[in-house]
Amino acid sequence: MSVLRPFRASDMFKFNNVNLDIWTETYNIGFYLHYLSRWPDLCCVQEAPSGRMMGYVIGKAEGQGLEWHGHVTAITVAPEYRRLSLARKMMGLLELVSEQIYQGFFVDLYVRCNNQIAIDMYEGLGYSVYRRVKEYYGSLGIGKGGRDEEDAFDMRKPLSRDTAKRSIRANGRDMIVTAHDVS
Amino acid sequence: MSSALDRQIRPIYDALDTGSNKSAIVACNKVLKKHPKNNLVKALKALALVRSQKVEESLVLCDEVLLSKPTDDPTLNAMLHVLRGLGRHNDMVTMFEEAYKQQPGNEDLGVQAFFANVRAGHWKSAQQIATKMHKQFQEDRYLYWNVISAVLQANDPTTPPNMRQLLYKLAHRLLAAASSSPLGNTDRFYLHLTILKELSLLDDAAALLDTEVGQLICAANLSCNELRRDIMHLRGLSKEEGERAEGLITGKGDRNWLEFVSLLDGTFSHLQGSNENAKEECAKHIVHTQEVLDKIVENDGKKDRSGLLALVELETRARKHDLSTDTDRLINLMQQYFETFGDKSCCFEDLKPYTLLQGDERESWSSFLENVASDVSSVNNLQRVINSYKLLRYSLEPSEITLEAEEDRAVLYMQQYFKALPLGNALPTTELQPADDLAILAGAVTVNMWKVSGDQQYLCRAAIILEYALSQSKQSFQMRLMLVRIYRLLGAPSLALEHYRSMRIKQIQNDTLSHFLFSRTSAFSLGSTGDLTLSTECIEASQVYLTNSQETSDFVIRAFTAEKYSQIPEFIAFEDRLDNSLQRDMTKMEHLRMRIAHEVISSDIIDMELIELKFIFDRQHHDNRDFDILPNYQPHSIDSLNKQTLLFDKADGKGWLWTFLKMYIRIFMMASDLDDTIEEKLLVGDRPKLSPDPEKQRPLKERLADRKDEELEELTPEEYALVQYADALAEWLEPFHDYARPPPAVVLAEAAKLTEQKTGLPLKGVEIPPHNGNSNGHKKDEDTPPLTEPPEMVLKFFDAMKLRFNEVKTSGDFSQILHTATIIQEAFLLLATVSLRFKSTSVVKIHKLGGLVAKLKPIRSDASSVLKDISTELAAISASETTAENRAAIAAVKLGCSEIDDDFATQITKKLTDSRKNVLEGVGKGAGRLCGTYAQ
Repeated sequence: MSVLRPFRASDMFKFNNVNLDIWTETYNIGFYLHYLSRWPDLCCVQEAPSGRMMGYVIGKAEGQGLEWHGHVTAITVAPEYRRLSLARKMMGLLELVSEQIYQGFFVDLYVRCNNQIAIDMYEGLGYSVYRRVKEYYGSLGIGKGGRDEEDAFDMRKPLSRDTAKRSIRANGRDMIVTAHDVS
Repeated sequence: MSSALDRQIRPIYDALDTGSNKSAIVACNKVLKKHPKNNLVKALKALALVRSQKVEESLVLCDEVLLSKPTDDPTLNAMLHVLRGLGRHNDMVTMFEEAYKQQPGNEDLGVQAFFANVRAGHWKSAQQIATKMHKQFQEDRYLYWNVISAVLQANDPTTPPNMRQLLYKLAHRLLAAASSSPLGNTDRFYLHLTILKELSLLDDAAALLDTEVGQLICAANLSCNELRRDIMHLRGLSKEEGERAEGLITGKGDRNWLEFVSLLDGTFSHLQGSNENAKEECAKHIVHTQEVLDKIVENDGKKDRSGLLALVELETRARKHDLSTDTDRLINLMQQYFETFGDKSCCFEDLKPYTLLQGDERESWSSFLENVASDVSSVNNLQRVINSYKLLRYSLEPSEITLEAEEDRAVLYMQQYFKALPLGNALPTTELQPADDLAILAGAVTVNMWKVSGDQQYLCRAAIILEYALSQSKQSFQMRLMLVRIYRLLGAPSLALEHYRSMRIKQIQNDTLSHFLFSRTSAFSLGSTGDLTLSTECIEASQVYLTNSQETSDFVIRAFTAEKYSQIPEFIAFEDRLDNSLQRDMTKMEHLRMRIAHEVISSDIIDMELIELKFIFDRQHHDNRDFDILPNYQPHSIDSLNKQTLLFDKADGKGWLWTFLKMYIRIFMMASDLDDTIEEKLLVGDRPKLSPDPEKQRPLKERLADRKDEELEELTPEEYALVQYADALAEWLEPFHDYARPPPAVVLAEAAKLTEQKTGLPLKGVEIPPHNGNSNGHKKDEDTPPLTEPPEMVLKFFDAMKLRFNEVKTSGDFSQILHTATIIQEAFLLLATVSLRFKSTSVVKIHKLGGLVAKLKPIRSDASSVLKDISTELAAISASETTAENRAAIAAVKLGCSEIDDDFATQITKKLTDSRKNVLEGVGKGAGRLCGTYAQ
């Protein structure tokens, strides 16, 4: 039970309980304003009835031709509100908007290859690995988690416009590209 | 441009891009030798100069280029950056408007002129340009720019209220001229709705919303849907909205809580009719809604909390209207909720609003919670136990919050904590521990025990417990925040700083969270010994405000370009909230208080700070500080943890800042030679927009003398004494300063001389009066003001404060000791500031101020001797802090649990005492040093 509403610039004043968590980055002001000035409908907040922020998602629409799609740039839920399917609801909205407003072919997101919990969740939501991006997160070299920590899976979920289901491929985990190719 | 010249200019851009301003200047000079009239090169040189902080030289070039009214893109672009660097937005507007006037067919220049007005917040001129552009280029976008500018002007605080409606009407009229339907673009649609809503043209709004496209837009766009919801309510259609929500909830599986609220609002809207049977009608609908929700609960099970919580809310509202049919229903539902969702950590927060019950209900709810199995062998059970503890604690009445009862709770929570801790053994160090909240609860209880008993050992106990729990759960920012507060209370600022830094606070968080560190931080500053740690923190945290003023307007422009009309007012409000942030200026004030203890007080510092403080004094502040982030599990009947752990037991806010601003402005105005006319001439950038607040338009002197009770209430007794002392000091000395201050013409001439020495050019707009032979003497016609006795308040301040210090020095309250000492030091520095003018023997001689100097001297030497004593005392307290006995005494504090071993407690105690020793010693030494600097 939570309020789903648009992310507003002023939410930067109240997202501390979400952002002090170490897995959530606090970007510069320009980052949030950039997304809001272009894709405000792909940015939303989940809020408790008390007004406390529970989580948010920030996304964009990008790509040329058949690659035109919705992209999840950041999705996060405060520690005390985990295990409540909040991410599922926010992803649902992002997919709806990507489909109806932007008419994209698919929605995609990047996730660390070793983040099994997240990968399972996204698979449960209908996403599958499209390709593996080498050293996507790697600026620190190989960490404890080995290659899986610095590599990312690009996971995709087809929308109705992708009638040929081009955004699904069985051997996605073996399709390796470099970070340079995707940026 | 010739290609040869082009080739010469490229290296200038390269140098600017790489930040080598020096070589950019050299390159510019080379080209300027051959082409002395080239505007672009002049502009680029001005830019390089601004970036090298050579403002005066840059100004000269900047003015030359502006005078030539440039129209070419590269020059305009370079000038845009120059003017921005100088804070001259008004000149930017003029420059682009001139250029557009010269080339009215140039669409790009029109856009630039429009944007310049947007940046400066000149909505009226922006409208005029947009009108012109729409006429000429026939694009709907310019019409919408015009419309949103009218809306923004209506929303601007400087716009009189009676203009608001007119501007919205204007916007509405303009919209009628659009060639395309508002339904073609979500944000245009949004803007239409906003205006119709504001003008209460609700039927028109409904017509738009009811179109097929309108409905589609609202279904996929949260912002538009929000507006739609508001409009429905304004139309009094809560019933229909409730039905719509019911459809979404049951048909589409929508679980947005807003829909449930609509459903409930709809249910109770039946009460509003004048119908006699309204109550009966409503009762029927309550039954229906109950059935709907029961079904949802059945289907959703544990998947979603909405249905069940909505039932709780439904029953609560039914009770309010005397429509409840079952007295046990609320309790039953709450129990059901706890049974179903007690293993989620948000259960406490969900039920909190409903738990303040009375009589039998309270009994039965409490006994239900007390009977929750205390088994913590699984994460789910543990969460249930934690929720039951939190809920029980929240509803405690004052009679149940005795020291003994709290002790029992603290012991229980820690026992359970240690039992549950192994549940998280396998978790990586980046994860939070499931048992964390038990330690946080124990910490909160022990803090309250300190409040109840006044005994600081409980604070030490809280610190040790939380440090231990943090060692098991390294990412717990909640524990860190509590520790920051506790260490400040314990007078161990370096430990607070360490935890604060560990949270990696950055960007905008510097605005919302830095109060944890900076609130009254000057009490802990070692600036007087040359240690700039805290001052540097202040400066770094304030970076975000510069970024805001430099960058946010760019995104406003981008939102215009992308026609995201829903975002533009939000961005502007955001920029304003950050620009006029209360914390920004509270940080500034603390920085200033530390600065005068660190740097030698000179007229340069006084003048610069004075100008800045006066600007701040005209601001309308927004309080963006986040206090809710501190976990609060204290009972509803006592103060929150935030309130309990405020330093010196006083919440500082607008009143505090206002009082200190007035005090410093008054003292600095006395000590400074600047007056308004001089300031105007020397000012480089634009003045801030004048506030429409009538309060701010009163004469400065009057505003400064105004002391309001609600402001003074935010002061500690020591701060209050300081303010009274400073007021008395000003009252006494102002006539002498006014008499001895050189006339503005002389001050300006001096400034002009300095500028000329620096830049080789005279100061613009300043005419030096003919030399009359005694520029130094400027003897006045009137006589020296009659010598008066120094006020009691000034004479007695230092001795009274010494007494106060003697009272607190043995209290064991180290933050209080430091506070008293630093307030005395501040009073001494203010005295030094106002004595500065009378240090020059020639000034004293010419103005016959010998008598005054003779009266000031004993006050200063008395102050100095008090401060010296305090310096010695602090050294002694500091030395005793780290003795073995003292450490052992603190480490022996009863922890209420045996699992934290002595070594751990000893280690924390050592850190605590070391930190205290350092700050006491440093503040003491610094005070001694200041005595040496200013005693004479």
